[in-house]
Parts: sequence; C-alpha cells; structure tokens
Amino acid sequence: MVFQLSHTTSYKYGNGVTFCHNIATLKPRDFLGQTILSYDLEISPKPTEISERTDFFGNTITRFSIQQYHKELKVIAKSKVLRDYTLAPDIHKSESGLTITLDEAKKELKSISPEILEVKQFLLESILIAKISKNIRDYALKSFKPDRPIFEATSELMLRIFTDFEFNSNATNVATPIQEVMENKKGVCQDFAQIGIACLRSIGLPARYVSGYIETLPPPGKEKLIGTDASHAWFSVYIPKFGWVDFDPTNNQIPQNQHIIVAYGRDYYDVPPLKGVIYSSGANKMKVAVDIRPAVD
Amino acid sequence: MTIDSNTLFQNYFTNHKNYDEVLKSNMKINPEWGDLLSNLITAGPDELISRQKEIDWLMDENGVTYNVYNDPKGLHRAWDLSIVPFLIHDKEWLTIEKGLKQRAELLNLILKDVYGKRELIKNGIVPHEVLFAHRGFLRQCDQIKYNTSKDLLIHAADLARGPDGRMWVVNDRTQAPSGLGYALENRFAMNKAASNLFNGINVKQPSDFFQDYNQMLIDAAPKDIDNPNIVILTSGPHNETYFEHAYMSSFLGYPLVKGNDLVVRNGRVWMKSLKELKQVHVILRRVDDVYMDPLELREDSYLGIAGILDVIRQKNVSIVNPIGSGVLENSGLIPFMNAICKYFFNEELLLPQIASWWCGQEKERNHVLKNIKKYVVKRIDRSNRESIYFCEFLNEAKLNKLKEEILANPYRFVAQAKIQFSTAPEFIEGKLEPRKIMCRTFAIAKKDGYSIMPGGLVRVAAERENLIVSNQRGGISKDFWIVSDTQQNYFHNYAWDNTFRNPVSDINDLPSHTAENLFWSGRYLGRALVTSRLLRMCLNSMQSSQYKNGEVPPENLKIIFEAITGITHTLPGFVGKGKEDVLKNPLKELNALVLDSYKVGSLAQTLGSFNNSYYTLRNLWSKDMWRVFDGIKKLWNKHDKDKEYSVAALIKLLDSTITRLIAFMGLIEESILVDQGLLLYFIGLQTEQASLTIAKCRSLIVASYDEDLEYEMLEALLSSHESLNIYRYSYRSYLSVENVVKLVILNDKYSRSLTYQLSRILKDIGKLPLPTGITGNSKCYDLIHEANQIILKSNIDTLLELDETEAVRENLEDMLSELSELLHQTSLSISDTYFNHSYQQNQLVNQNFPLQ
Repeated sequence: MVFQLSHTTSYKYGNGVTFCHNIATLKPRDFLGQTILSYDLEISPKPTEISERTDFFGNTITRFSIQQYHKELKVIAKSKVLRDYTLAPDIHKSESGLTITLDEAKKELKSISPEILEVKQFLLESILIAKISKNIRDYALKSFKPDRPIFEATSELMLRIFTDFEFNSNATNVATPIQEVMENKKGVCQDFAQIGIACLRSIGLPARYVSGYIETLPPPGKEKLIGTDASHAWFSVYIPKFGWVDFDPTNNQIPQNQHIIVAYGRDYYDVPPLKGVIYSSGANKMKVAVDIRPAVD
Repeated sequence: MTIDSNTLFQNYFTNHKNYDEVLKSNMKINPEWGDLLSNLITAGPDELISRQKEIDWLMDENGVTYNVYNDPKGLHRAWDLSIVPFLIHDKEWLTIEKGLKQRAELLNLILKDVYGKRELIKNGIVPHEVLFAHRGFLRQCDQIKYNTSKDLLIHAADLARGPDGRMWVVNDRTQAPSGLGYALENRFAMNKAASNLFNGINVKQPSDFFQDYNQMLIDAAPKDIDNPNIVILTSGPHNETYFEHAYMSSFLGYPLVKGNDLVVRNGRVWMKSLKELKQVHVILRRVDDVYMDPLELREDSYLGIAGILDVIRQKNVSIVNPIGSGVLENSGLIPFMNAICKYFFNEELLLPQIASWWCGQEKERNHVLKNIKKYVVKRIDRSNRESIYFCEFLNEAKLNKLKEEILANPYRFVAQAKIQFSTAPEFIEGKLEPRKIMCRTFAIAKKDGYSIMPGGLVRVAAERENLIVSNQRGGISKDFWIVSDTQQNYFHNYAWDNTFRNPVSDINDLPSHTAENLFWSGRYLGRALVTSRLLRMCLNSMQSSQYKNGEVPPENLKIIFEAITGITHTLPGFVGKGKEDVLKNPLKELNALVLDSYKVGSLAQTLGSFNNSYYTLRNLWSKDMWRVFDGIKKLWNKHDKDKEYSVAALIKLLDSTITRLIAFMGLIEESILVDQGLLLYFIGLQTEQASLTIAKCRSLIVASYDEDLEYEMLEALLSSHESLNIYRYSYRSYLSVENVVKLVILNDKYSRSLTYQLSRILKDIGKLPLPTGITGNSKCYDLIHEANQIILKSNIDTLLELDETEAVRENLEDMLSELSELLHQTSLSISDTYFNHSYQQNQLVNQNFPLQ
C-alpha cells in the first residue's frame, strides 16, 4: 500500500515574529514494513538555516530558523510511504512471543545483552510518565498475572482502555497529567497511549510512545474530505524473545497498514511534531491539517 | 610549645569526640600545624579578634557577598572568612593531588562514554539506570564530540577527612562549579589582614593554576581561532554566587553576560553589543545544564540561549563545562567507581569515597531497607538538602514513606554510611574550638592532564556538633594552605601576560544588557538626587515658615506640596482625591515620599531600583564605589518606614543622602571608562535631570502669581535646583522670572540649565555607535536634535508672555511640554535601538510540563 501524506501546521502571530528557532519531528521512519519513497518539508517563509539529524531515539528531526520578520509560519510535511506490515515479524507467528508470561519476561529482562540493555531505558520514569500512582498499577494488574502471556494481557489492557475511556478532545491538553486522565477516564489518543505505557512500566515491562498517523476511511458511499485525518499516537510494548509490538488503544487494534509511524520516544515530550522558541510579544493561533490517502500515480 | 596551658586552647580538649586535624589520637600536637599554632599564640586572642574584625571589614568593604535563598536578609549577605586557616602539608597534598587528577581523568572518560559508546553500560560495569535515570543525562547531548583535549574541563570535588585519616571524596561538582573566586578573595584578604600568620610558613600560591585556568579557556576555542572571544555567562544577581561571577569577570577580563545578551544566528553564537552582533567562541557558564537551551532543553528557561546546542554540535562554540556534564554529579556512580577505574586504567581508585549502596540492586536494596536508620539516603541526582534524608532523625511514619518511595523507583536512591569527619580549629569568642570542615578542590584540564589548584576553599560547620557543612545556611569559610618545606614565591596580584588578555576594548563591543543597566543607573541616580533636593527644599520651607503640622498650610507651601505630587508622579497625594485629609497631615505624606519603598515614585523606591540595576553591574565597580554605596544602604537601613520622622530628622537624612549620592556620582565618573559604557550612564543621568528640570519649571513658574508668592516660587525652584548662589553671583539682584528662566532654562554655559543638559545629551548620543544597518542619523539623535533646536530658537520675551487670563505663561508651558515629550521619545528610541529587548522569548507551543 502506498500512501501520500501531508501534514500542514500553520501559525498566525498577532504581533509578528522577528526571529524563531524550531524543531520538527515530522519525517516518517524507515524500517522493515514501512519505506519512505519521498519526503519533503515546505516551510514558509523560507528558513535562513535548516538542518536534519537523527535524535537519541533514531527519529529524524529537522531544525530550522527564520531570521526575518513574519506574521505567519506554515510548515507542510509531504511524504509518500510504502506500507506493508506483512514484511515485519508477525507476533501471531511467533510461538515464544505469544506465550511468554510476565514472570518469564521479567526473568529475560534481567539479561545484559545489548538488545535488552537498549530496551530497558523504556522501563524508567520519563517526563510525562513519572510518579506512576497505585491506581494505575492496580488497573494494569487486572490484566497482568505472573503466569499469563503478556501478549494476551496487553491485548486485554488495550481493549479495556478502549472501553473504559471516553474519547474527548476537550477534556485534556498536552500538559494534562496521566493521573488526571486515569481519574476522569477521558482524553485523546496521546493520553490513552501514555496510560497504556504507564500501566506496562508499572508492572515492569518496557513500553514506548509511538507518534504517527492513521488513515481514516469515509463512511460508505461518501467521498473522503481533505485534511480530516489526524496526528495519531499509540504505544508499543517490548515482548522478550520477540520484540516490540504496537497496540492502538484508541481504536482497539494492532496497527497494520493504516498506521504510519513517525517517531518513537519515552512519551509525547520526546517527539512533539513541532516546537520552537519565537521572539514576539503577542498571542498566536495554530491550525493543523493532516491528509492521508492512497497514492495515485 | 606550651599549647595545653594557653588560654586559646582552653576549650579545645574538653568534649573532644572527633578525629581532629591538630590533635592526634595520643593527644599530641600534629607537627605540621606547629608553626601556624605558634603564630596564633604569638598574636594572642586580642590581636586575633582585631585581625578577624579587619577581615570582616575587608570582606564587607570589598562587597564579597553570598546570596542565600528564602532568607529575607539573604540577598547580598556578607561572606565570612575565618582568621584561622586550614592547612595540609605538601607531602600529603601530593597524594591527594594524584588522587584528584586520577578522579578528574576518570570522570572525563565516563562523560565521553556516557554520551558516546556507552561501553560502561554495555559491558555491565555500570547499571544503565544509574545514567539513564539520572535527570542530568541529557539525550539531546548524545554523540556530541568536542575538540578540546578533555570533555570535562573543570572538576571540583568536596573532600573531608574520614576516620581512617585519609581525605575522602564526598561530592563531585561538574556543571558550573563555584568557589574559585571566593578562594582567591580569601587568599587576598588573609595576605592583607593577617600577614603575621604566614610568618615562617611556606604557603603554595595558586598563580600557576590561574594561568592554566585562563589557558584552558583560550584552548577551548573552536579550531583556527587564535584570539577567541570569551564570555562569562551568569544567571544574574539573584544567583547565590553572583559575587563570584562578577569577580571572575573582572579578574579574568572577560565580559559578564546574561542569556539574553547572546543570540544564535547562522550557526554561531553572537553577543548583542551596542554596535552589532559580535561572535562568541567560548562561554564559561555559571548556569546549570538544563537551563542552557530553551529550544532543546527546558522550554521555560530564560537563562540560556535558544538554539545553542546545535552550534555546539557544529563545533562553532565551546561551553565550559560542556552541557550534559551534570550527569557526573551522581551519587549513584560511587559504588561503581572502583570498577570503572579498573575498567579504564586497570588501577585502584586512589581517593576513598563514602561507603554507598545503590538501591537499584536487589541485595543492596534489601540491606538498606533493613538497616535504614544507619544511613543517609539521597536521590542519585539531587544533592540539595531537601533531598537528603538523615534517617536516624526520621520518625516511623517518615521512614515508611521513604521506604515506599525507594521501592517505587529503587534505582533513584543511594544510601550512604554516615561518617564523622575531622575537625579543625576555629576562632570563636576569643578561643579556639574544633569544628567540622570540608574542602572544595579544583582541577582544570590541560593539554596532557589536569592542573590542580594548591588548596581551594574550606568551609566550616556553623555549630560544634553540626553534621552539615554548607554555605546555603551561611557557614564560614577558611583560607586553605598547602604548606611546603621549601621557599615559595610571594603571591602577587595577577599581572597577566598581555597576549592573554581579551578585554572589551571599545564601546562598540559593550554588551547591550550592560549598556541598558548603565543607562538606567544614570536615570535612577538622577531621579534620586533631584527628588532628594526637591523634598529637602520642601521640608526647609516648612521649617522656615514655622509651619506646624495640622495647620492649614500657607499658599506657597500648598503649591510646593502639589508640585511634589506632580513631579514625583505620586497621585493622589496632595492633588488628587482625598487631598483634604492628606493636607491635614502633610508630614505623613512626606515621610512616605521619602521612606516608603512600596510607594511608586518615592525616594526609597527610586533608590531600590537603582540598587537593582547597580548590582547587575557589579563587575564594573571599584572598591570606593562599593564603600559609598554601602554607606547609603546602611544609612537607610537605620530608618523605619513605619515610623513618622520629624521635619528636622528627614532633612538630616536627606542631607546625608545627597552628600553620598554626589560622592558616588563623582566616583562613577572617575572609575568607569567611557568605553566601558560611561556614555550610557551620562545619557541616562542627563535625560532624567533634564526631564525633572522641565517638570519643576512647569509646576513652579509657568503659572503667574502675585509678587510675594512669585518670589517664594522662584526661590523654591532655585533652591531645589541648588542654584541660589549661582543666581546671586550671576545677577546680584532681586529674584525675577526673567532671570530665573534665563539661568535655569536658557543658559548654555551653566551645567544645571536645561539648554546645557539637552546639548550634553545630544553630544553623547552623537558618540554612540551607529548600529550596523542604519545610515545617516539614528532616530534618537534626530529627536534630541529637534529638542535642542527648539530651545535654541526660543526667545525670552515670548516665553514670558502671559495668556489672556494673565494666569499662565502659555508659550513657556508649550515649549516645556514639547521638550518633555521629545525627551520621552528619545529615551524610548534609545531602548529600541540599543537595548533590543522589545521582543520577548516565547514558546511556539506551550510545553510547560510539570518537569522534574
């Protein structure tokens, strides 16, 4: 499946900006099962400086600065992505991955093999997922038992988040603490992903945050509108003897071809799509539009 | 030696529980201390008391201060230096020095490894949590490579003598270690105030070390830069060690800058100076890691430079120490240091450390939880007092809470054995008493190793049984002597090799922030002086008219009262709503105008504002300036704003204040060079004085009064303007409006006249560098030029004309109001053109998360 993807972010500044430095984490990752055929970042006004590098988590980030006075900033990330999840290892075909229990997994995680050392950092507290409270751990423990396979338990956890939490984009913002989300059981994909991660870490399993996109399909018989798709987020758990497995608690599904992956991090804080420092004295207005559709050549 | 019987030592032997530096366990005197002890005895208690006073006075005179947070008296608290130094013999120091070098080399390799290959983790030498869970591990700094010979350029260690008689490492300081400036100032003060104590003792001097220090900064410059621009980055006057930031700036001769003086453009770091942006190559920082770059690190930081991490990656600027080095301030590393040392050097760690158990390991954790009362528990990445738990003092509930916290995130905690550190003699109330001490040492990277400062900074616990040694609680410091059996060179004030020096050589390079503070210092000082004289004139009038508080004031006083409210912008006061009540007790309002620092426009408030901008300029101070400045502060501290002082008492306070302000202004003119920014100070001062001259004239002589009242007003104006004598000398006549206007407004030779002041501002603004990109004249020049033209073209007869009601000199009022507006515009334009703070730093997206 080949997708063409565009992600437009625009800012309108009340009093204008004299100067800005920004960092964009918008380029989809390239890995077995997802190939980037083309990628282009259009920025207006044209940046004075722009450079690309790989961050600690292997994501591609673009840093740019605009040194002229401007009242509007527009950043459009356009890419063409070949997605074929069947190329990646499939957990359903891995006997050891499907059956490994929590106790066994914890034993495996004691190893100091390079792979285990690498994933273990996703067990630690991170900026937005810190001081995990007892009720989050209790929530996790309803699904996770020492002898139960962790794949099965995580699938159940995903289903429970999907059922117990209400999708409500007015209930939270990027700074809402996970404890509050847990109590109110309301939020958006980013909150659900972080709840999932907090649950998994609380019982000793490495979990990471995945930021990306999901293709949404129009109701049957209707034409798809442009810009209705959204940035999306879900979580990924490390299953020893197999590897990372993604779970999307917002949609209760294990991502396949409809999910495009942009970045991995410990939580949202590591991978915001766009951030920056601006020199200005007024307020600003932001607009985001995402569009994903099968590519037509 | 008859030490036991000497009165100095009377209390030293009683209740002696600890290992002591002077007394050995067999109660014999440590011979290394012999010479110092006999010098102390020769001096005797009285002499020591007077020397100690001399030191206190010197520290006070030189403005050596230390700010303590959360302490109302904490800001600019005097630094305490003890008359009794601490000493270590050269023989022992050699071993310590070797150990410090080894430790610095080791930490350097750890730093390289943490942000590089991470072999220590991969090979199981250090558990990953010790580094990955440390808040000082900055993923943004991963894989950054440096050109410098070492990654870790400065290392400071806190040492204390353990029960085995060896010096133990208690803490490492690797981000922006403080103490060097204090140590240096301590040595200067001891040399000056207690030179007798050095008799017959060869104390090693740190001259070579500071040469190395300076060379390290120069060598840190990016490739192919021979004459680097080096700056010292401070977080500002509220920082606890701000004195030291300013001190090092003037000692090394590098400009002191704040984050908003620097800017990242085109892949380089620039300093905003008056003329243009000037590239900076090396930044000696006194700002912690996470505050250094609001783009990539803490978004809410206003202390750093947005985008600087990328400039570092491109190797276009060097930061001393590199950002990310805070990960080494890590008590979690202690249990693994021996293994790390074996791994890198295949040798033993030379300096012992406190026995520590990292709770991330099961066996250690269980041991700690079982025996928790015996330990001091810390977070691996916190060394402030709030995060240290002295478990023996905790009650059951608190212990359980701590245990829960440990169990929730065991890898965050370390338990350390509490140990008894050694004591050394401290001079207290005429006697010597043992006090616990801690030494801070300093290592500086050189091409082929580390250079260690001989000595360092010694801090003393405040009470006899106190465990904690810290300046945060206002402890005492000691000079730290390394004594040698061989003759040492005398310690001179530093005379740098001229090729070393890289001074801010002309006004073009003046950091815009410094320029702004000088400008405002001038304005505040001008306002303070004019306001003092105005208030004094008013109080004098009250006295001479024998006015008694509570009476209805005579017409002339009423006008003066109203004028004061107008000129100081302190409405309602004598003018606005409720003025009847205020006029019933004018003295109350006048007291507030003088003393109430919360009243906007009061003299106390103006002095407070001056105080603030003055502290930020600390590196430009001379000692004489500090002395006079301190005199003003002490004078004002004696007055209580809640008391109501008599007219005579207020006049006395104002008299003393005015004399000191004038002395201070004279010192500024002779202590700061025009190229250092004195020009900005003058522009600020003259602008303020001219504005207030206008305001006074508008309040007192624009309106026309009958002959007697007019005479009173003219006299009021002249006396508040300190111009009565000049008037009498120039005109030898009865006061007339015409002559007063000629003298105070139109005279072009008299330095207090408006014409003179305006022409002076024009001249000074004309000398300011024209910012790059502007052609012709700057806007502020045009504005002040226009003001000058207006006053030059004015005509005395026209100015004196009355309007049809015969009550107001309309033309005079029109001209003054126009000039006032032009001055205001000039001041705004100076800010816009030269200070460049009109735009604030903001976040594109609010990322103000609850950061740990």
